[in-house]
Amino acid sequence: MAGRAVFNNVLEMLPGIDNPTPMVRVNRLSPSSGYALYAKLEWQNPFGSVKDRVAGFMIRDLLERGQLSAGRGIVEPTSGNTGLSLALACAALGYRVRAVVPNKVPLEKKILLKLCGAELDVVSDALCPAPGASEGSINLAKTHAKAQPDRYVMPNQYENEQNVLAHYRTTGPEIWQQTDGRITHLFVSLGTCGTVTGTARFLKEQNPAVKVVAVLPPEDHDVPGLRSASQLEATKLYDPSLIDEQMEIHHDLAYERARDLATMEGLPAGPSAGLILEGARRVIERHPTGVGVMIFPDNSFKYVSNFAKHLPELVEGTSV
Amino acid sequence: MAKYAHPEVLVTTDWVKENLGKTGIKVVEVDVDTKQYDAGHIPGAVGLNWQTQLQDQVRRDILDKAGFEQLMSASGISPDDTVILYGDNNNWFAAYAFWLFRIYGHEDVRLMNGGRNKWLAEDDKKLTVEATATTPSRYTAKAPDLSLRARVTDVIQAVESKTHNLVDVRSPDEFTGKVLAPPGLTETAQRAGHIPGARSVPWSSAITTDGTFKPAEELADVYLSKAAVDPDRETIAYCRIGERSSHTWFVLSYLLGLQGVRNYDGSWTEYGSMVGLPIERTVEM
Repeated sequence: MAGRAVFNNVLEMLPGIDNPTPMVRVNRLSPSSGYALYAKLEWQNPFGSVKDRVAGFMIRDLLERGQLSAGRGIVEPTSGNTGLSLALACAALGYRVRAVVPNKVPLEKKILLKLCGAELDVVSDALCPAPGASEGSINLAKTHAKAQPDRYVMPNQYENEQNVLAHYRTTGPEIWQQTDGRITHLFVSLGTCGTVTGTARFLKEQNPAVKVVAVLPPEDHDVPGLRSASQLEATKLYDPSLIDEQMEIHHDLAYERARDLATMEGLPAGPSAGLILEGARRVIERHPTGVGVMIFPDNSFKYVSNFAKHLPELVEGTSV
Repeated sequence: MAKYAHPEVLVTTDWVKENLGKTGIKVVEVDVDTKQYDAGHIPGAVGLNWQTQLQDQVRRDILDKAGFEQLMSASGISPDDTVILYGDNNNWFAAYAFWLFRIYGHEDVRLMNGGRNKWLAEDDKKLTVEATATTPSRYTAKAPDLSLRARVTDVIQAVESKTHNLVDVRSPDEFTGKVLAPPGLTETAQRAGHIPGARSVPWSSAITTDGTFKPAEELADVYLSKAAVDPDRETIAYCRIGERSSHTWFVLSYLLGLQGVRNYDGSWTEYGSMVGLPIERTVEM
């Protein structure tokens, strides 16, 4: 019933070729009027982010393999969005979710996870980490799943092929249809790399000339959910053969461009979307004609404390 | 192929699996955050908290002899037991415990190579949430061997005499003085930089991607060739609070077999806060 937007349960709202997330043209922030730059608004998903696709696919796969039961729920390491998607989807289905998050994740996301019914484990942030070492949150989630296999299964978004498949089956086909096959550039950020690997694989199969541009923040960045170049080395779903250009952009610009998106385009985008916009602008300056699609992972509402930190002028005048 | 100087102090995860539950083998997990132990530990392992159980809780110091004896007794460990240590953060805190066990003269103490991460990554290795039952023992420690420990006075003397290798195992940004400590940490120093004459060899230079120690030739290349640690001189390793440097102390003493290696547990949080001591800094704050 997607056409009339009436659903029998919230899971039916998950996107796909018949129910795509919207694409909105970015006008004032595009450096070239001859370039059609679109933002694909993943916060329009039922649970609020691009991770809804991944959560939906991973849960469906677990159900098909009989891995979930009344006594056995999900444990997952997450910087927030996947945890929220899993928690809400499992709430609708009646399964337990335990989310393991690094301490640096904004308070908003931690509170939201609990609000959505997840049990929360907060782990210390990596200090002086060894290059390529897995994070504490991943290790603690794996520990729960290994020590209590009767209570927890860990879908592990970092290694789960369903993460790639979700985008190969939904995000890619949606974009192809929404652009009538005219897309020239795909702009993405890199986290688990499920988005880029699945979407790029589908689009390049349709047209090998589609250019895939990935933006990433520097080391020690403060853009939740994203990975820097050295972190990517240990990212199993990262397939550099699908990426035509990889661009490192400072995280301060992520927050500034996110503000620009709100104030100049009316798009309440989160910091990773800001980073992606900056990357797209740099490419359009070199290629003033084309059709580009930016996958905006989520909106700004979960990042109030990050915005307050990076754009301190926002805090001025907020109290008497 | 060159071997470690003291290969007997390292055991593999497979060895631990084979020997679990045998008489005289005690497995001990040492974490900075015992959340990991509580969530799942090697069956039969005792859990020790580095912050609350291995240090004096009033003054800044290592656990004293009576405290160590009490902790071992309560943990059911005897002086003739083979103690296998492992932990989170690539065995940093397990290496600190190893250092403490050696200070108090425990003969047979070993590290599980790769720590809890390696155990966790291997499908045939089990974890449990079951509480470990211990039978209290009566542990008598030896007089502390303080030749393994550097105090600030030793460090000052080493700086003045220029007779020691000083190995700074912190991250490059801590060494140069760009940051006081890794982000978000409460224990810090008044000043940033490093001890004059120290060489920067981050702790992680000693390990491979799965957290196990590099082979002997590679370790020799890292420390003796590239960092020019002179094996004919005594060595002091330091970090921020003495845990990462325990890891390097272990490598230099037991894997490369250097003589006269000491761990400076006061480390940068002590040295960088002392009034009037010389500091080198290579970047502007």
